[in-house]
Amino acid sequence: MKQLLSIFFSVSTFSYVLSAVNPPEEEVGNGRYVIEGRVFPPEEQDLGPWQVDTRIHVNGGEYIGFIREDGTFVVHNVPSGSYVVEILHPDYIYEPVRVEINSKGKYRARKVNYIQTSQVIQVPYPLRLKPLAKFRFFQVREQWRLTDFLFNPMVIMMVLPLLFIMILPKMMNDPETKEDLKQITNLAKMSEMPEMSEMFTSFFSGGAAAKASSSKAKQVKKRQ
Amino acid sequence: MGLLSIHFKPNFLGLLKCLNKLNWFIVFFSLINLSVCIYEDQIGKFDWRQTYVGRIKFSQFDTVSTAKKIIVATEENVLAALNLKTGQVVWRHVFESTSTGNIQLLHVTEKVVTVTGSNPYLVRGWDSSTGVLLWEWSLTLQNEEQSEFSEFWVQNNMLVHMLPVFGSHVEVSMYNLLSGQNRGATSKLPATWTNDGCVLSAPYYTCISGGVGTQQLLSLDVTSNAVQLLSRPISEYVTVNTYDGGLRPLDTNNVIPAFTLDDKKIVLIRNNQFEILKTEVVDPSASVALVDTMHGQVILQAWFDENEGFTVKAHNAATGAEVPELRVLEPELKLAEPELAAATCSRPRDQLACRLLLTGADDSVHLMQQGGRVIWSREEALANVVAVEFVELPVSDLDAAIESEFDQKEGSIWAAFTRRLQTQFQQLQTLIQSLQKGEGEEDEAPPALVRDYFGLHKIIVLVTDVGKIFGMDNLSGALLWQYYEPSLDTENVLVYTRRTARYPPYDAYVTIVGKHEESGNGLIISLNPITGALIGEKLMHLDVQLLQCALLHRPDNEKLYALILLDKDENVQILPGSAAPLVENMYMYVAEKNTARVQGYALVYDGRSLWARRTWQVQLGGGGAARVVLAARKAAAERVHSPGRVLPDRSVLYKYLNPNLVLFVTEGPDPLHKDVVVATCVDAVSGAVVAAQTHRRARALPLAIHTEHYLAYLYYNDKHRRTEIATLELYEGQSRWLGAGAAFSSLAGRRAPSVERQAYILAAAPAAAATTRTEKALTDKHVILALSSGALVEIPWGYLEARRGGLAEDGSVIPAQASPPELLLGGDARLNYNRSLARPARVHAAPAGLESTSLVLATGLDLFYTRVAPSKTFDLLKDDFDYYLITIVLAALILATYSTKYFASRKILKMAWK
Repeated sequence: MKQLLSIFFSVSTFSYVLSAVNPPEEEVGNGRYVIEGRVFPPEEQDLGPWQVDTRIHVNGGEYIGFIREDGTFVVHNVPSGSYVVEILHPDYIYEPVRVEINSKGKYRARKVNYIQTSQVIQVPYPLRLKPLAKFRFFQVREQWRLTDFLFNPMVIMMVLPLLFIMILPKMMNDPETKEDLKQITNLAKMSEMPEMSEMFTSFFSGGAAAKASSSKAKQVKKRQ
Repeated sequence: MGLLSIHFKPNFLGLLKCLNKLNWFIVFFSLINLSVCIYEDQIGKFDWRQTYVGRIKFSQFDTVSTAKKIIVATEENVLAALNLKTGQVVWRHVFESTSTGNIQLLHVTEKVVTVTGSNPYLVRGWDSSTGVLLWEWSLTLQNEEQSEFSEFWVQNNMLVHMLPVFGSHVEVSMYNLLSGQNRGATSKLPATWTNDGCVLSAPYYTCISGGVGTQQLLSLDVTSNAVQLLSRPISEYVTVNTYDGGLRPLDTNNVIPAFTLDDKKIVLIRNNQFEILKTEVVDPSASVALVDTMHGQVILQAWFDENEGFTVKAHNAATGAEVPELRVLEPELKLAEPELAAATCSRPRDQLACRLLLTGADDSVHLMQQGGRVIWSREEALANVVAVEFVELPVSDLDAAIESEFDQKEGSIWAAFTRRLQTQFQQLQTLIQSLQKGEGEEDEAPPALVRDYFGLHKIIVLVTDVGKIFGMDNLSGALLWQYYEPSLDTENVLVYTRRTARYPPYDAYVTIVGKHEESGNGLIISLNPITGALIGEKLMHLDVQLLQCALLHRPDNEKLYALILLDKDENVQILPGSAAPLVENMYMYVAEKNTARVQGYALVYDGRSLWARRTWQVQLGGGGAARVVLAARKAAAERVHSPGRVLPDRSVLYKYLNPNLVLFVTEGPDPLHKDVVVATCVDAVSGAVVAAQTHRRARALPLAIHTEHYLAYLYYNDKHRRTEIATLELYEGQSRWLGAGAAFSSLAGRRAPSVERQAYILAAAPAAAATTRTEKALTDKHVILALSSGALVEIPWGYLEARRGGLAEDGSVIPAQASPPELLLGGDARLNYNRSLARPARVHAAPAGLESTSLVLATGLDLFYTRVAPSKTFDLLKDDFDYYLITIVLAALILATYSTKYFASRKILKMAWK
């Protein structure tokens, strides 16, 4: 609790200091200044005119700058004040920078922090801006992978019993268990399933033949 | 960790309980599965973007570079290159929308030179093939007052700036085009004869000066070293009696200084002499251009006549003889007030080949060949859309017949039976017809405009700033119809769907309520949104200015919702007049923008006439001099699916669902806190203030969202220099005020709802806001924000929830999610992925027939349409659903079962023989 209090205290004093600095900056001076900098292109770009696609917005489009061939830019005729400079590229993220110009024409550039607005982490001026990362716009489609398939619980549920039934008896190679297994297989005969040929013969030749065939099947069973 | 588990346990138990219920999946979707983005292979599958540049101000053919282009500079402060063959945008630069982005000059040679802004000016050079900036320099004038009359042009690689001081002198300065270095000082040429009717035809500055009857035509080459004033009495050229002082520069001219006099004569300046041409201006409204061809200079004139249509005539400047190859007569082309924005002529094989770039009063752009063939057209009015309405399509004739069968309830069993037989016969007939048709012409007819099964196909009615109304197919973005009304002033225009296409034989009915451009009186346009034909009131000029208008909440027996208009004298009109007896329980409000006073009216029908009674009045903004920034009400006839929210402890928190609630955001100065933003929720029927919220040291943005019990509005926090979004949620509490299904009444029982508030930081500059809307409001609601950076982002309401971090009813803390108060706007929240939108202005959402889906259109300089599914498409198979795979798997399974069966029987047989 004490720690918390002290942290709060330090933050509040800091903001006081800054608010004392702020007022002269906020007055709009007559002087017109320029914001300068250099934008570095994304590295794995396909060498199109990236300068055309990249725009520089100051305070959300209040002032707009354009990038020259070599990546430098100048935003002209900006009165003194505090500005957020954004580099807008359709595919790449650039970090915005807050540029403060006081009434005497002194510049200060710092990182934008919307939560702790009084925190100052200075960055060099004239600005040098590098792309942070590529935008991730899209979800990645799930692709079919063998491992995914194998570790699918359904597949495991089916494969493991199969292993137990098929491989374990062979590994055991015990005559008694073999006998047991035979019985199991005999029990698990697929007698409910209609046989294709039977179905067709019964369909075409009427009930008598069907009966005969079924009696034959019974005989086979009995012989077993 | 220990602390966390203590907090976590009771909530986790609650969550488990919640999971038992059926609605667990809603929790799942709304909290865990927040990513809503599309797959990469879905690009362009259900979205499209159209790029526009705005009304053309300057244009020039770029004939130097290999890829033929037209460079245009527009009223929307856009510089762009258009492909000569297709009209598509090759590259585009968007300048500031304020006066600092105004384009003053466009000069195209190998490089494109622009001058933008209004003191200070910026001179920029661009590479014409790629659009890359080559150089720029700033130009600041000392003389501030007259700078709006400045003229720029390029001459001998020098930028010439001329500033006339009327009645005294002309200041001329020349700058190096590339560096901005001034060649010597500004020269001041004495010219007491200048006035504001002067025209520049570089490098000559021409005026008409002198008293009536003795007027002189004066012209001065302002760049020459020796001042040489040309002067002629005007009576040499025109009859002085009829002359009314018209001096116009030619619309397109880069050959020789020339201008038109009195809309009749064309005057050239050659060898420091005025030279009047034999060719006269044919029509006073004609656009005149001077083009250099192999046959010498040619005067082109283009005009539009109601009877004859669009006409272009060409005359040789030297001889005055008509050039018949360039004559165009197009009775079909309806191009009001055409303007020859640019023209170029070449002669590839001993034959004149001209290209004319024409702009109309409706902002449309056409590239025309000689002979009148239009190569391409662009509807640049769409760069400035002011109102949007999504309209349903009618059902097909067959479906309509089936529906009408079930509509008729009266009649005996036999009548119903015969009706059934009839319709079945009809269906059979159409089936046979379609079969017969299927053999022959199958893909000739365009897809009919009928409702599809999922209701995704709609028509978007777009009202543009210039007064042109478009009907657009939402799936393809193709224009279906257009209607141009020059006298429509579209400021605060309103669009109402008064009848949908659901009621055949009645047509769908859309009404646009605007103002007359000159008088400011009401102007009402009613049309069928499917065909674009005027119906009903058609084009109706009212003779009074309007204060407010609304739709009646009840349709008449033709299923038409009446339009109620409250005019400036507080008289009420209703259209159609026969609907007046239906008016009951109708209220209106009028908010005065600059005084922040809101006035409520009750509409009363006394058996003979309809009149408005003042009921309440509220002064918003806390007493100071405030102004209303916006008033946001719920969408008309909004559906609310659930009257409450289920809390983790299984109790229900009932929403306060007042359909009459209006959110007003006002902004006013404050002696202590600079600016104060006040948001007030007012019941528009009773005038009661339901909730209010004040933000000090803030500036309001005209963006708000109001749906169900949610309210959200945006403001700029001046203290912290960031944009914040404030959200309010209104709840009745744990018990319901009214019984289930009872209609809400603003007048009965005044209880204040409990208000949950929260504000979040938005790390971007917003330009427009909307919420998704679905048919039955079953789906989650997401907020869609258009940002000035060109992104269109979708934010789930869960991120904006006002109850987050607050105290729940039972005293437990609702867990603030682990995220900071800043809204995360990652790439996957962007609906328009890397298709950035230039200068977005509005976002519209409309429900589709499919419950999960909402249709979204963002307008601005670009149009972007997409569809979103806030809770994912739960009512639709995934679009990557593999029908082949499932068929193959099924077939293989059947095959496998029968083959194993066969092998098993053989095995048994073999074993039996053993």
